[in-house]
Amino acid sequence: MGIGIVTSIGIPRARDTDRLFLILCLVVPLSALILFFVYPLATVVVHSVTEPDGRIGFGNYATVISQPNFWRATANSMVMSLATTAVSLILGLIIAFATQRCRIAGRSLVLAAVALPLLAPSLVQGLGLIFLLGRNGLVTKALGVEFNIYGFWGLLIANSLYALPQAVLIIAAALRSADARVYEAAEVLGTSKLRQFFDITLPNIKFGLLSAGFIIFTVTITDFGNAATIGGDYAILATEIYGQVVGQMNFNLGAVVGIMLLLPTMLAFYLERVATQRQFGSGSDSAVPLVPGWSPARDIPMTVVAWIIALLPLITIGIVVYASFVWLWPYRFDLTVRHYAVKIAGGYEPLWTTVQISLLAAFAGAVMLFALGFALQRLPRSLVKPVYFLSLLPAAVPGLVLGLAYILTFNAASGPWQLLYGTAALLAICNMMHYWTQGFLTTMTGLRQVPAALEETAACLGAGLPRVMREVTGPLMAQTLISVFFFLFMRSMVTLSAVIFLVTASVSVASVSIMRLDEAGFTAQAAAFATCTMAVVIVAAGVMQLSLYLLGRRRR
Amino acid sequence: MRAMGRMLWACLLTMVLAGAAQAGTITAYTALEEDEIAAYLAAAKKSLPDVNVKILRLSTGDLSARILAEAANPQHDIIWGLGVTNILEPRIQALLEPHSPKGSDKLPAFARGSDNKWFATTGYMAAFCVNTERLKAKGLPMPKDWADLLDPKLKGEVVMPNPVSSGTGYLQVAGILQQKGEAEGWKFLKALDSNIAQYIKSGSRPCKVARTGEFAVGVSLAFAAIQSIEEGFPVAMVIPAQGAGYELEASALMRSAKNAADAKRFLDWTMSPAAAAIYGHFKEIVTTPGYKPSASFIKAGLPENVSSVLVPIDFSKSAANRTSILERWQKDIGR
Repeated sequence: MGIGIVTSIGIPRARDTDRLFLILCLVVPLSALILFFVYPLATVVVHSVTEPDGRIGFGNYATVISQPNFWRATANSMVMSLATTAVSLILGLIIAFATQRCRIAGRSLVLAAVALPLLAPSLVQGLGLIFLLGRNGLVTKALGVEFNIYGFWGLLIANSLYALPQAVLIIAAALRSADARVYEAAEVLGTSKLRQFFDITLPNIKFGLLSAGFIIFTVTITDFGNAATIGGDYAILATEIYGQVVGQMNFNLGAVVGIMLLLPTMLAFYLERVATQRQFGSGSDSAVPLVPGWSPARDIPMTVVAWIIALLPLITIGIVVYASFVWLWPYRFDLTVRHYAVKIAGGYEPLWTTVQISLLAAFAGAVMLFALGFALQRLPRSLVKPVYFLSLLPAAVPGLVLGLAYILTFNAASGPWQLLYGTAALLAICNMMHYWTQGFLTTMTGLRQVPAALEETAACLGAGLPRVMREVTGPLMAQTLISVFFFLFMRSMVTLSAVIFLVTASVSVASVSIMRLDEAGFTAQAAAFATCTMAVVIVAAGVMQLSLYLLGRRRR
Repeated sequence: MRAMGRMLWACLLTMVLAGAAQAGTITAYTALEEDEIAAYLAAAKKSLPDVNVKILRLSTGDLSARILAEAANPQHDIIWGLGVTNILEPRIQALLEPHSPKGSDKLPAFARGSDNKWFATTGYMAAFCVNTERLKAKGLPMPKDWADLLDPKLKGEVVMPNPVSSGTGYLQVAGILQQKGEAEGWKFLKALDSNIAQYIKSGSRPCKVARTGEFAVGVSLAFAAIQSIEEGFPVAMVIPAQGAGYELEASALMRSAKNAADAKRFLDWTMSPAAAAIYGHFKEIVTTPGYKPSASFIKAGLPENVSSVLVPIDFSKSAANRTSILERWQKDIGR
């Protein structure tokens, strides 16, 4: 599809304004990417090759490679990421299929429950699992068997729950558009439902599955929060970086581990690209949207399975909300609201700062990603490839490394950066970059489902590119863009690893407050603050859904 | 044109006024606990009403990393309560300005830098948080000293902080090595390792998992134990009978301080009797004269004379050997 449009730009009638518009759509997001991602990352690379005496060399790499800890952490990280990818991909496919292609009971509730880990601060999930499955957890006590959740299994559960909504987001975007006629044809030919699934559905969403797998893999390999709460002594690369930077105050060795972490991700990226080389778009102009009919043999089991999966995050997070109302967990279960009187760590003020930062990050991110995707579809492949590659890199960078990179880069004594350092805007930019890849992949998956011919027709009828974007692509992309906006908003509300290095004496955010409360020994207050944060996100979600609904009605 | 000129003047005037308002503001980077910070600042406001203290609070490790990462352009005027072992890090020392606050001559020699670059008014010490309910339910013996933690019955029931990522963990390891001597110390740590269920990343978390009954013994800090007891958890504080390792919380003036005058006044205040009066509510170790531990501390099991239970620590040695000790720990013990 990309090629067809490239030629349409090539025709002499292409207007200058179109060209200018396209350049603008490419250059603005691209320069943001270069300025706020590539440049800080380059600073980290420089640190990784700066030896203790200040010279440039690969001594740090030699040091890291010679440590047995590093290899053990690498092996653990690989095993954990592959296992999580397998689990989340299967669960994600089930949920996405159940909600997009089946008629299950409580569809939106299932989707909301699965999305919960995204809007929960990282502490919550680990805390919830320990409350349930810990050595003194509720489930453990009820069963009377003590098992050890700390380590591989606990981490696998936590990581899978955390990656699941991100997988569902991408797979659902791929499943959303299907051509009902293909399935009708299969039906007429007497193809079994199972074969339809394996021969039509799976090949069609191959791209989405690969992107989802890539995201799960990178998100897991870079995650720090879950490993710190429930990972026990199961050392992984992200905790190794933390040990180097925070424990030993050795930035350069930390930078080396951060760079090494990029390698498996690049490999995953390469595999994903090779595999999807040929599949560049499946949206058809005359596709008839698929509306699943009621089929008890398929829908009843799917409802049960989807609900079982959805209950896992629901209970894990629900238990933390419950604990925030309990007098003294796990010894006195009287209900109280005393933990909600948060006075220390700046009270609730950081929560409102976080809302502003998150709105900014989500708005800027959604606009830029849409513009970038729109431009990429109309540019020659040779240009698309490097930009695509750049846009996938942020997911490979652990938040810890990104946050450090920002300090090392933007806290200069002079120059224009000075004005930005320590502001809420820099936090918003950092969050946008941190979650750029997920937003990018969702946008691109969504854009591929927009029928090319529709846009071409509009162009032939004399619509300029701005108008095509506004009146054809935009409305068709509305649902995807809202998901992207939301995803960025939710992540910004709760992310900790990158912003921990960027909060200042005057600008602080909710996730840092939660961590500070927990560190100060007020676990229940931390749970209360986390509950308030989740409530704000849920309210925001409601407002957005409502406005989307009203917008849709007015348009009709 | 004249209107524009007037506007320009107004702008300038606003800027000057804003600058003047800034004059009473200082920024402090601190690793002290949240609730004590709130109490100190409320008291400081009474003594120094014109000084507005802005706070960035992070854990010891996070804060040190932050200070080093910002070294090219420091954002703060003072460091207020950061582990001595961390503040002695040469790269942090290079950022400090010598300053002896009023009354610092009364501090014992171990509580101030010989070059006057830092001084410490408070500190914290190692202690075990023992969950009495779990101990009873499992029929386990109450440990009294480090050596008791080697009891095979406690296998898998003891958690301690990871010295690589936690300052508390490091003070415990360094304390054992200085108390028992290198050879004996390492032998002990190795033996202890077989009973340790988990090395946890932060210093107070072992106490938190012990108090909720996840494990029987959390090797942690005295303050974490006292706080858990006050909150009502079934926790007993055990100070190792042969002595506990400890760490001092040091304060210092930054050479780059933008408001050095007010920063010095605030540092002076931390040495004042008004401040010392509050330390007793939050601190098990106070170096300023006239300190008395609060009643609840005594009730929780803190001895009246804390210095009797402390292992003498050579801080410059434990700071200088940090890298080599941690390397060896990672090689021989680390998981």
